Amino acid sequence: MAELHIIGQIVGASGFPQNSLFCKWGVHTGGAWRLLSGLKEGQTQVDIPQTGDMAYWSHPIDVHYATKGLQGWPKLHLQVWHQDSFGRCQLYGYGYCHVPSSPGHHRISCATWRPLGSWQEQLSQMFVGGGPQLRSPDLVYSGADRYRLHTEAMGNVELELGIIMRHFDKYGVES
Amino acid sequence: MADSWNTDTGEAVYRSRDAVKNLKIRVRIERVTSTAALSQHLQQHVLSQQDGGAIELETLTPQGQKGDNDEELVVGWQEKLFSQYEMELFQNESACQTPLDRQYLTEIRALNKAKGRRNHRIFTYTDHDRFTSCLPIQQLQYPTDLLTTTKSGPTFLAERMASVRNRRQERRTLDSSIPKSKIVIWEPTEEFVKNSHVVNNAMQTMHIMADLAPPGRLGQKENEYLLLTIKTDGSGTVIVKPDFNKGKEPYRIVTVGEKREVWCLNVENVCTAMQPEEKEREQNMYKDLYVRHKEYLNSLVGQDFEMPPLGILRYMMNGEIVSAKGFEYDNLYIHFFMELPNNWSSLPFQSHSGVTQTCRAKTLGKEHVAFFSYPFSFEAFYMSEKESEEPILQWPVIYFKVLSLDSWQRYRTEGYGYLLFPAMPGKHTITCHTWRPLQTGTVSSLRRFFIGGSPELEDPSYVRIPGTFKGERLSRFGFCTETTGSVTFNLHCLQQARAFVDATVMKKRRQKVLEQLGGFSQQGAVCTILEAFQRARKKMQDAREGLPRDLVNTTSHSHVES
Repeated sequence: MAELHIIGQIVGASGFPQNSLFCKWGVHTGGAWRLLSGLKEGQTQVDIPQTGDMAYWSHPIDVHYATKGLQGWPKLHLQVWHQDSFGRCQLYGYGYCHVPSSPGHHRISCATWRPLGSWQEQLSQMFVGGGPQLRSPDLVYSGADRYRLHTEAMGNVELELGIIMRHFDKYGVES
Repeated sequence: MADSWNTDTGEAVYRSRDAVKNLKIRVRIERVTSTAALSQHLQQHVLSQQDGGAIELETLTPQGQKGDNDEELVVGWQEKLFSQYEMELFQNESACQTPLDRQYLTEIRALNKAKGRRNHRIFTYTDHDRFTSCLPIQQLQYPTDLLTTTKSGPTFLAERMASVRNRRQERRTLDSSIPKSKIVIWEPTEEFVKNSHVVNNAMQTMHIMADLAPPGRLGQKENEYLLLTIKTDGSGTVIVKPDFNKGKEPYRIVTVGEKREVWCLNVENVCTAMQPEEKEREQNMYKDLYVRHKEYLNSLVGQDFEMPPLGILRYMMNGEIVSAKGFEYDNLYIHFFMELPNNWSSLPFQSHSGVTQTCRAKTLGKEHVAFFSYPFSFEAFYMSEKESEEPILQWPVIYFKVLSLDSWQRYRTEGYGYLLFPAMPGKHTITCHTWRPLQTGTVSSLRRFFIGGSPELEDPSYVRIPGTFKGERLSRFGFCTETTGSVTFNLHCLQQARAFVDATVMKKRRQKVLEQLGGFSQQGAVCTILEAFQRARKKMQDAREGLPRDLVNTTSHSHVES
């Protein structure tokens, strides 16, 4: 049995059209992985930066997994939302990235995209807000159905993750 | 002769897992007078001379109240010892303002009825006393100011901190439970602001003081001097100011007043030490606890781990297509597939290709960038065979093409590229540049612009080395391309093989995969040698048996005969 620690933080996000952002995040693994301690999903606070473009959350990620195999390596999924002054929430992007598999400190910049609707929907999105969302975000983990989507590029989410691996070398895994 | 004094009166921090009520300190103060100094000097002088002293030692002992020039006391944690001033103050009930004062009153009355208090000059202020909170301001002015100029008073923060009562914060929870409601306090009270804005460590304090008045005139507040301050927080930190000076020079206290006197102070830690059996028992308990926790974790998951069969390398790549930039048109998507060379295999249900979503690019600086964030995961197995056949290990390749499809359903190829799997495991960020085939002439560019449609490669592996290529020199002469943008991949690679287990067990340095897998061929070589030897031996045995029997018999017969 090998163990993996993911200890880090979601630093913040930049490159989005508006600034008052929050992020919903989660870690998704295969069947052989088991969460020993820590929260594997959460939601950050809403941050409105006064100067500059980057919204900072510094949200901690501290999970401890044990696994019986290499398949289903953990993936991180992120949803960036925008909250306006009226309290309405609007989706600003989905992002997916793999958790690194080599021990050490990693700085990851995860790119995000959001689905595009028809031109009428885009027009109303410009004025009123809103816009299409994925009916169930789990469908896009594997990537099999992605080709049906039409999306546009949004900003980047910065993460700092420290990876500690234990007993992997006992089973002959080089990372 | 106490000529040398200890001037290091800084605080010392001790940490202990024991309960703080076991703390015991021995304090000793001694007045330094000229007769005492002289008698001490003479005593030493006399003792150093081996022959008997002419001066009798008895006459050299200082006269006067012998008991009033020094005192030694063992004080426990938060042990309340009364000063002469307090004894006189709490004689009548009108001086009592709080329940604590009334408790002191009853204690003093009990003490007076009994044999009296055991301390004379040394007394203590515990955490609950009303004198404790005003001491820090006094400390700032005695004995050394923080700054050399005496004009500047304490700063705003220092004043705030001194007036905050050091009380324990009971409301802090030990676990990290966050209250679900009322996370933000919109209207804080003055008390809350005072407690949150200053550094409030919730320490319990105890001051050991001494009344250093001239003999016979005890009981006045001006002659109280601070000897020792002990602070603890709830988690095992004990701060002692000044530090214990057993075996070192004593501290010096100078009284102010009409007659300046010098006292020396010695502080010693006399807590009972822990028995070695108890220490061992505690360590065993901790060890037990950790072992049990480890077993619990093991039982949750199990001991097994999936390993590839012997002699096979499993290559696992988790990656994502991050972005594409610098392409001519918008609404890009990427179609990719992996190719495995010889000796590589993969699981049957594994998909080897993928298509990303169509993404509209945005302008970032000077370039148009499209974000895909498309994660993929790929697993391949390499079977090592005899070394003579395979000169170089060939790694799998990802071939990809970038295409654009817009709302008018115009479909164009934007670029072709390839990515070779990295040989070393770890994290790799690779940017691949792409090109697209170009047909010279205006007709093709007009077609590309208006209708869509452009020349495509029939064999995508032409990007690297075509699959159908067998020869020595690859010539692409006459093939016209145009450089287009680039695609960025993030790859995390893992390699697993049973050979790696033995390598770490034997503590070999990290070698290249080929050499490690080549160990099999070395073992194979040894096996072949052994096999050859067995074959030769068997042949020899057969030959020996096939020899004509009479030859063997005659030799033995002749031997017997002769």
